Amino acid sequence: MSYILAKSKNEDILKAGECGGAVTSIFKYLLDEGIVDGVLALSPHDDVYDGIPTFVTNSEDLINTAGSYHCAPTMIGDLIQKYFADKKVAVAVKPCDIRSIDELIKRHKINPDNIYTVGLNCGGTVSPVSGRKMIDLFYEASPDDVISEEIDKGQFIIELADGSEEAVKIHDLEKEGYGRRNNCQRCDVKIPRKANIACGNWGAEDGWTFIEINDDKGQKLIDGAKKAGILETKSPNEAAIEGRAKVEKIMIKMSKKNQEATYPLVNEVEEWNRCIGCYACRDVCPICWCYKNCELSKSYFKDDIIASPMPIAFQGVRLSHMSFSCVDCGQCDDVCPMDIPVSLVFDKLQKKYQNRTGYLAGVSDDIKPPLYSPDKVEL
Amino acid sequence: MFEIKHTLCPSCSVGCGINVILDNDEVVGTFPYKRHPVNEGKNCLNGRNSVERFNDKIGSDIDLDKAIMEISKEINDSDKVTVLLSGNNSLEEASAIKSFSDENNFNIAFYADDLGNFEDVASYNDVENASNVLIIGDILCENPLVGRRIVHAKQNNAKIFSNIKAEKSVTANISDEVSSSSVGEFLDKYSNLDDSSVIVFNTVDSAEDLDKIRNSGLKVLPVYSKPNTKGVLSIVEDNSKDELIEVLNDTDVLLVVNDNIVDEIDFDFKSISKIISLSAFENDTTKISDIVIPIKSWLEYDGSFVNAMGDTQNFSGVLESDVSSVFEIFEKINN
Ligand SMILES: Cc1cc2nc3c(=O)[nH]c(=O)nc-3n(C[C@H](O)[C@H](O)[C@H](O)COP(=O)(O)OP(=O)(O)OC[C@H]3O[C@@H](n4cnc5c(N)ncnc54)[C@H](O)[C@@H]3O)c2cc1C
Ligand code: SF4
Ligand code: SF4
Ligand code: SF4
Ligand code: SF4
Repeated sequence: MSYILAKSKNEDILKAGECGGAVTSIFKYLLDEGIVDGVLALSPHDDVYDGIPTFVTNSEDLINTAGSYHCAPTMIGDLIQKYFADKKVAVAVKPCDIRSIDELIKRHKINPDNIYTVGLNCGGTVSPVSGRKMIDLFYEASPDDVISEEIDKGQFIIELADGSEEAVKIHDLEKEGYGRRNNCQRCDVKIPRKANIACGNWGAEDGWTFIEINDDKGQKLIDGAKKAGILETKSPNEAAIEGRAKVEKIMIKMSKKNQEATYPLVNEVEEWNRCIGCYACRDVCPICWCYKNCELSKSYFKDDIIASPMPIAFQGVRLSHMSFSCVDCGQCDDVCPMDIPVSLVFDKLQKKYQNRTGYLAGVSDDIKPPLYSPDKVEL
Repeated sequence: MFEIKHTLCPSCSVGCGINVILDNDEVVGTFPYKRHPVNEGKNCLNGRNSVERFNDKIGSDIDLDKAIMEISKEINDSDKVTVLLSGNNSLEEASAIKSFSDENNFNIAFYADDLGNFEDVASYNDVENASNVLIIGDILCENPLVGRRIVHAKQNNAKIFSNIKAEKSVTANISDEVSSSSVGEFLDKYSNLDDSSVIVFNTVDSAEDLDKIRNSGLKVLPVYSKPNTKGVLSIVEDNSKDELIEVLNDTDVLLVVNDNIVDEIDFDFKSISKIISLSAFENDTTKISDIVIPIKSWLEYDGSFVNAMGDTQNFSGVLESDVSSVFEIFEKINN
């Protein structure tokens, strides 16, 4: 593992990039050299609150994907598994994305040789509609005038077209039920170390991206992009490295505190009571890869669920099949029409499992997922 | 090429946004549309399935010119032609169908779930901020993304009273009081609620219930089963089930535009000599139709739907298609 600061040598990318445009430049290198068939990143559709996964095959289009979209809580693991299994792709991944990819690799659903994973450190994402409401309520500016947002030094910062900025403390926003999604407030994996490289603004100088190189493939990405003349690098100083480590530690501590505060509060029976059995949580879950072959699609379960609104059978099957691998990505909460805090229930159980076995989903280096390690199944 | 594109859900009148995943111009799945203000990325099973079943479209391998000739002959030969509008028609389609029908002096019929037309309706925010919510029908299961607003109302300390005929339901699970009485009795029981109370309903027992709801002085939200019923109500008046049956009894040629009326009313359709369906998907009505013309589905054209709370929302086609649109078919018939 080593650290570098990196910056794009392409002016347009440098300008459009969130920090040093390193991520976009590495993607450009991979596409231009024909190393990958395409790049899976985000681009804003209607506005900055509408970041949508986009597959780019022409490096000129990469410019539309540069920048960080904090109001785009997307998930990419299942997309790769379902639609890109036979392609070589480079992909931008938050910690929850790479954790789901890691779990899918362990299940032989993604071939690690086919993907290049460029990690983004992540302090959290905000749901777009509630994010707009939050800006409307807590900021002078209108949500329509925001051209980019940023989470830094404990603040949610918005930038307007005229270059001005407004900031409000995340803590104050979250106290009022706004700010980062609930699962993000609990998420304790902030640097995606299972990705080939992990990029971020922590420890970075202005106009540079701080990169932690996690493996040989990551080193090759950096070396290749430099050789292609699109990336320049330098070493960060010790103070920056230490500062970054310190912020990571503080963030993790905050998340643990949120875990302790929220795990005991959830009343599963009351929450499941309004479950309409719509399967949205299962269908979106990157770990529930069996999808159409799911045990729950078998007729004996189907009839049961429709006949009775008590979804214990359904949620029980899912909990027992995959909760030990839950990566707390919050997709299930996001899609639940009944606003059931599904991830809280699943994540709570995974943490319980972690406490007993040491296995942290999508992070621990176990070769096989717990389902195939009978010694670890017992709780 | 992999692409994710925005559209609207066509499976009920709530007006949820939904993203379609396309792989090499084929619909392969859905993706949460989290930026959409109505549903924030949440869709019920019906909604997601409506996109998934896109691939079951009616094939376009018919001799269109021949079919159009046949239709022209049928409708010219009869003076008892009825055109059935549908809440599945976009605003633009509904206007075109109405003009076509008027120009040719055909009867026009339109069924709006027997829920009537309410000029002023409650918004979804009104539901969330209501002091009391009166629910008629299993809204949580049948229109989940309005059901969600009722859940929010409950979390905001509203009292929830529901009238549901089914023995068990999720709507009942979240209600403070549940009744299975007639809708009329139910409304009488709660006739003294304050004026920030809202009635949300997707069914009634009779037209008298609608009068009661109208006279309640409360905000009301009828939730129709089709995406643009509210919009079509601004173009034509609706018929109750009984009125519709009367019209059908006096019909020789029935032209159904993108609807499945057979599943909605109890009527002996064999009494109609010719049924012509314009439809994107196969359904029980196309199955009994004498002529079926495939048309573009909502994923293949641009248009607008008015949702239950009265907001007009535009949608854009996500796919190119050679299949004719409703407009093209009517133009051809007219020529
Ligand atoms: C939601 C979010 C939170 C972050 N929080 C932190 C933090 O707390 N600390 C820290 O050190 N760094 C954080 N980062 C990383 C940082 O903002 C930069 O993305 C990183 O430094 C790379 O900068 P760059 O200029 O090299 O990237 P760019 O060249 O601008 O490329 C960024 C890439 O990320 C993709 N992307 C943007 N938004 C998302 C998203 N929501 N999900 C998936 N991919 C996305 C873009 O499509 C693009 O490919 C966060 C990033 C995101 C997206
Ligand atoms: S779950 Fe973690 S990695 Fe994923 S968006 Fe939230 S904070 Fe970021
Ligand atoms: S259960 Fe929910 S939070 Fe856990 S991995 Fe699945 S979608 Fe993500
Ligand atoms: S998404 Fe929500 S309502 Fe639907 S099955 Fe899952 S928990 Fe139940
Ligand atoms: S509630 Fe209605 S509009 Fe929303 S997803 Fe379900 S069927 Fe579609």
